[in-house]
Amino acid sequence: MGALLVFIGWFIGLVFAANGIAGLVIALIIWGIMTLVAYFQGDNILLSVAGAKKISPSDHQQLYDVVEEMKIASGLEKMPDIYIIDDPSLNAFATGRDPNHAAVSITSGLLQKLNRDELQGVIGHEISHIKHRDVLLMSMCSVLLGTIVILSFYASRMMMFGAIFGGGGGGGRRGSSKNSGGGGGAAIIILVLAILLMILAPLFAQLIYFAISRKREYLADASSALYTRYPAGLASALEKLEQSTTPVKNATQATAPMYIVNPFRNKLNVNNLTSTHPPLEERIRILRSMAGGAAYANYDQAYRQVKNTNSGIISPQSAAAAGTVGLRAAVAGGPVEPPVDDKVSRTRDVNDMMYRMNDYKTIECECGAKLKVPPSMQGSMIKCPRCGRAHQA
Amino acid sequence: MICPVCNKDMFVIEYKRVELDYCHICKGAWFDAGEMELLLETAGLKDGTQAVHDVLKLPEAHTAEKKRRCPICGKNMKKVIIGGEKGVMIDACFQHHGLWFDGGEVADLMKIVSEQAGCKKETESEIMCFLKDVFQG
Repeated sequence: MGALLVFIGWFIGLVFAANGIAGLVIALIIWGIMTLVAYFQGDNILLSVAGAKKISPSDHQQLYDVVEEMKIASGLEKMPDIYIIDDPSLNAFATGRDPNHAAVSITSGLLQKLNRDELQGVIGHEISHIKHRDVLLMSMCSVLLGTIVILSFYASRMMMFGAIFGGGGGGGRRGSSKNSGGGGGAAIIILVLAILLMILAPLFAQLIYFAISRKREYLADASSALYTRYPAGLASALEKLEQSTTPVKNATQATAPMYIVNPFRNKLNVNNLTSTHPPLEERIRILRSMAGGAAYANYDQAYRQVKNTNSGIISPQSAAAAGTVGLRAAVAGGPVEPPVDDKVSRTRDVNDMMYRMNDYKTIECECGAKLKVPPSMQGSMIKCPRCGRAHQA
Repeated sequence: MICPVCNKDMFVIEYKRVELDYCHICKGAWFDAGEMELLLETAGLKDGTQAVHDVLKLPEAHTAEKKRRCPICGKNMKKVIIGGEKGVMIDACFQHHGLWFDGGEVADLMKIVSEQAGCKKETESEIMCFLKDVFQG
């Protein structure tokens, strides 16, 4: 992808300044600035775009415990920050330029819907993105992609203007330069090549970007299985994500690869070449068919089996380094409760946490209803809509 | 949450561990899809996630009433009539975020439920019975 950027820069230089090196320098400077911004501010920008709020252990003990478990299992040195996004849709993502500046974010909707095993699977997936520095890789890739797109876009606009005002486009200008080696024919060939490259470069870049992203998703799934020793947890979480139809509120094309599943999955049926994530059902099938252990080698074997290929997704070295790890049994979820009750309490816990974080006040009315009042209405009299009793909020 | 009619903050009423957002100005109520799911599954109905989907399958009602926007996604909602022929017209979010009941609609709905003999184990009836339960007056 870097090579593409260099090519584009060189051609722009050649067409506009009759000097490939000048274009190259411009391309590299633009890319350098964007990279620096992304490196130092990228996680903050992303978190604020997504509307994430940082939480402390007391806000949601279970989530904190699960993140800590996964931090220990993965061998991370620093505990990542935990953020909650107030959004009913189901998704999660990891941010941070390196494992010491990392954060995991999860939507309140997902936190409500998942049980402990499933939550562990999802957090394991995100911790793997942090552990393997995928976020840095992905954000660097998206910056590179962004630069290529910007350069091609402006270069093609400039050529249009050149054609209108210069009476011959880039070729004309280039022809006027003394440095031009060949005649008009060579200039036209270079111009055509430049235009072609400018049209195709963003497409190519995007394809490469998507391929990297998908490979990273498989690796994160495999790592999650390894850390949790329970691939069925992540598989069942992904099944819940698959059923959900609520799109993520604040997702954009650029932030899409950060999420655990593609946030645009319902808008249109994207084909496999251009999707940032592998198809969910395939990821579930691989996790479900992991047999005999939770190691990388077992994931790799399951991958080959499901995809029906001989080439694995995980390099033999890292598979060997991870060794063999046995599967664990499902956790008996604390006190035995019927599943519906469990789901209701989980939802109430998560919602009440969101209310606390947004400074809501709770009034318990004698009629059995609970009123949760936003800060803007506090201090006024509020009538219980159920029994009509007045309360001072 | 902001009331789609008055554009003012609503407060939340929790009853039997299910929440509704309620506007004290227009007396309208927002029933969130996730909460509806909890209600229906507690009542023993199987597929709670399908509730808004089922309501959206009803034909669009022809009316002069102003379009309401979903308080979650801000997009226009669909007007449908639930509770049979003499039912009430409510707004359902196309993105499956939930259902909106105008103040008057809640009152109409309570009348309909009182006329019916008990609550049936069926999506619409369960939702209407719950609303009556909350706003019994």
